[in-house]
Amino acid sequence: MRRDWPDIWGGLALAAVGLSACGWALAYYDLGTLRRMGPGFFPTVLGAMLAALGLIVALPALRRTGVPSRVQPWAAAAVLASIVIFGLGLSRLGLVGATAASVLVASLPAPQPGWTWRMVLTLAVTLLTVLVFSFGLRMTLPLWPRLP
Amino acid sequence: MTTWEGLLYGIGFAMQPGVLIYCILGVVLGTFVGVLPGIGAMAAISLLLPVTYYITAEAALIMLAGVYYGAQYGGAVASILMRLPGTPQSAVTALDGYPMVREGRAGVALFAAMASSFAGSVIGIMVLVMLAEWLSRAATAFGAADYAAMMILGLVAASTIGTDQFAKGFAMVTLGLLLGCVGTDVNSGVQRFTFGQTEFLDGINLVALAMGLFGVAEVIANVRDPDRQGVVERIGLRRLLPGRDDLRRMGWPTLRGGALGSFFGALPGTGSTLSSFLSYAMERRVARDPSRFGKGAVEGVAGPESANNAAAITAFVPTLTLGIPGDPIMALMLGALVIHGIQPGPLMLEARPEMFWGLVASFGIGNLLLLILNLPLIGIWVAMLRIPFRWLYPAILVFVCLGVYSVRGLTFDIIAVAGIGLVGYLLALAAFSPALLLLGFVLGPLIETNLRRALLISRGDPMVFLERPIAAGFVVATAALLLLSLWQAWRRRTA
Amino acid sequence: MTIILTRRAALSCAVALAAFPALAQDAWPTEPVHVFVGFPAGSSPDTLARIITEPLAQRLGQPVVVENKPGAGGVIGVQQMLASAGNGHTFGTTINGPLTTAQRLMDDTGYDVGADIAPVTLIATSPLVLAVSADSDIGDLQGFVDAAGAEPEALTYGSVGQGSGAHLTAELFADEAGVSMLHIPFTSYAEVTTSIMGGEIDAGFMAPSAAMPHVEAGNMQMLGITSAEPFPQAPDVPVMAGQAGLPDDFRAELWNAFIAPADTDPAVIERLNTELNEILADPEVQEKLLAIGWKAAPGTPADLEERIATDTEMWGAVIDRVQDSQ
Repeated sequence: MRRDWPDIWGGLALAAVGLSACGWALAYYDLGTLRRMGPGFFPTVLGAMLAALGLIVALPALRRTGVPSRVQPWAAAAVLASIVIFGLGLSRLGLVGATAASVLVASLPAPQPGWTWRMVLTLAVTLLTVLVFSFGLRMTLPLWPRLP
Repeated sequence: MTTWEGLLYGIGFAMQPGVLIYCILGVVLGTFVGVLPGIGAMAAISLLLPVTYYITAEAALIMLAGVYYGAQYGGAVASILMRLPGTPQSAVTALDGYPMVREGRAGVALFAAMASSFAGSVIGIMVLVMLAEWLSRAATAFGAADYAAMMILGLVAASTIGTDQFAKGFAMVTLGLLLGCVGTDVNSGVQRFTFGQTEFLDGINLVALAMGLFGVAEVIANVRDPDRQGVVERIGLRRLLPGRDDLRRMGWPTLRGGALGSFFGALPGTGSTLSSFLSYAMERRVARDPSRFGKGAVEGVAGPESANNAAAITAFVPTLTLGIPGDPIMALMLGALVIHGIQPGPLMLEARPEMFWGLVASFGIGNLLLLILNLPLIGIWVAMLRIPFRWLYPAILVFVCLGVYSVRGLTFDIIAVAGIGLVGYLLALAAFSPALLLLGFVLGPLIETNLRRALLISRGDPMVFLERPIAAGFVVATAALLLLSLWQAWRRRTA
Repeated sequence: MTIILTRRAALSCAVALAAFPALAQDAWPTEPVHVFVGFPAGSSPDTLARIITEPLAQRLGQPVVVENKPGAGGVIGVQQMLASAGNGHTFGTTINGPLTTAQRLMDDTGYDVGADIAPVTLIATSPLVLAVSADSDIGDLQGFVDAAGAEPEALTYGSVGQGSGAHLTAELFADEAGVSMLHIPFTSYAEVTTSIMGGEIDAGFMAPSAAMPHVEAGNMQMLGITSAEPFPQAPDVPVMAGQAGLPDDFRAELWNAFIAPADTDPAVIERLNTELNEILADPEVQEKLLAIGWKAAPGTPADLEERIATDTEMWGAVIDRVQDSQ
């Protein structure tokens, strides 16, 4: 039988997050009293609630069929990598370097072969970004890679 | 000065070329930065602050205010067309605006957003002019217990939107509340869930959260989507303008949203977020067929857009009448006045009537300009949809990163977007509503600090929530709403 | 202008790193100078930084870029300054918290004030005022202490957060006056003001500039000020020291300082100190600072170092007491 996997996994993951938050809060933060509620009160209660809700989502889903989701691991990896590259690169490569690297990586999973359009895109987006953010909005950003 | 004299005086003041030009500059810039994902009014105003040194205080305030409400128009464009909301209130707009775009009704969605934004602003201006004093008294009458009770009502009322399954929606609100706990606890100073990262001390960056959950998740889902490769998107003029049916559906939601927004906007805090969610929840509740919501119901765009624009106007009530800024953006605008040697406070209006009336008049002029500016732009925005997605999304990603970076200049936040984006993508795969997560995230810290503050002040007596009339009203309303929902669920099951 | 590097100045920098060869110091600055501020644009510490960096840029002949890195009560600004240090053109302005109390209040600030930061000069100080509602029965400081002393936690007061300058000052005041008050933490003076005016809390320790407009409008009154002498912005508010059982040397001030990474060339620090002292001596600059609630208080790097040490000790003792009582 094809079960409703998205709800099962989603619910269980939320339950796990709730349980860990609840446990962490109980272990490290003071619950306090009604008059002076401690920092632990809200996270403990919310964590327990999330754990319960996660199970409420997951358990009924075990007995029903669902539509499987189409996962796009390549697209996800490239998009997330391009963000990380931009974040790590901004201070070292400058706006120009970080943008170019990030755009190139992001364009990899696009369903269109060839490198020419990717190069054109990289150039165009880099130019646009510099114009809008550096000259237009005057954000203080290093433009070029920092020399060692 | 009577209201009419004041208004006439204000219009005269705001129409002076030396003032009008800054109003135009403000709204144009506001629209522009609002369209850029993540760059909100806050960042734009910070960037503009140095410019205000060189102009008069009134012109500066009018320009910055123009950026503030202009950004709301622009923000609606980004969240409707690309599902890139930079603020929780535009996340509500995306709930139905984006499905409309996918149905090929982008023009209608944008038109609804612009028209209801304008109508909401007009309602907000009328409320501001007529009820400013009453609203400012309401703002000081609200205590910690009242705020806590009000936010809880908002949370309960809104927690059914954006999802068919109640448990899934409530789980997202709870996750949002939990994420709102991250950072330094206001009451005890304890650092919660920061895991040694100083960057988390003030909590998770809201813009990073919104961009990761919506924008990045959406980009990942669409990168290889054959529908988005721009082959067939052919939109005729007929599709650009709303039909009679759409117009008829927009009227009441716009009025109701404007009224909600006008009230909640005047309360310091997060009036604009709360009122857009409440407006959406209300429209869904009164609709004859609630199942249309989330699938492209024009009411779901018109109501919240009217609400958040009305709230953007009345948010100036405490700022102008009491000199007390209701949110960080208002604080920033008052900061601009301080630079000009004006001490914001209750006496500011008496000393400078041109400030109040000039600003009020500029709201009207500015919103009219925004409407005139944005309606022709709809065609251009819709044409942009014909560009194949592969040409757009790498730029969107870079813009998202810079938008998040603009909030406080930390590359840490950009890395956080990647992490949040992954979570957002997984949540989208399992059809959990990110809008409700955002709502919980925004309201959570407010509920917690106000609840704890109320109990601290009452020395631990929970009766404070029933003894204060305002709080008691919200508690009763919350209870009634819960009972109503339970009754409806029971009736549906037995029917 | 030429730089006169005296022996005393070099010593006062007290930087063992003088052994590192200085980059062509005559030519400094060779590129734009970056000043990190741990608060957002438009905030009071940011405006202060912009007021002093504008004339500084003219004097140095290089642009001075203010970099806002807000967060964690200013600690992120200091961290980011240290992270981008290394080329001798990176500095910061900060309020007292990140240099005096943050090490005690936070799990880990990621820096050691003594080892990582070179003091340049104190810029300005700001006292706090004790404000109550205009409707309050309490009319003066003695009346406040009497009412607060009636029973423990008889009065509530608002601050801008646990461990904030306002909170610690209030606790210092309570301890010296021999009373105990119930602390209600808020996140901004705007919230504290609304709560006082709404009658929800009894009092607040606030920046004079935050309280003044509401006092002038007749909504609030100020009972006392924590500086050693009357504050020019609010000259009528009585000094707390020596009143209502408080000791004569009672003084609690927030301040703002110009700092550098520890490995900055001592000659550069000396140059900056001289320039900033001259800038802060300008009456026009002083007036601008006063308008946003800061009183210019320049000095030598050694003065700042001493201020950091005495305040760290003073607030440390207050933090000990607060933490013991909870």
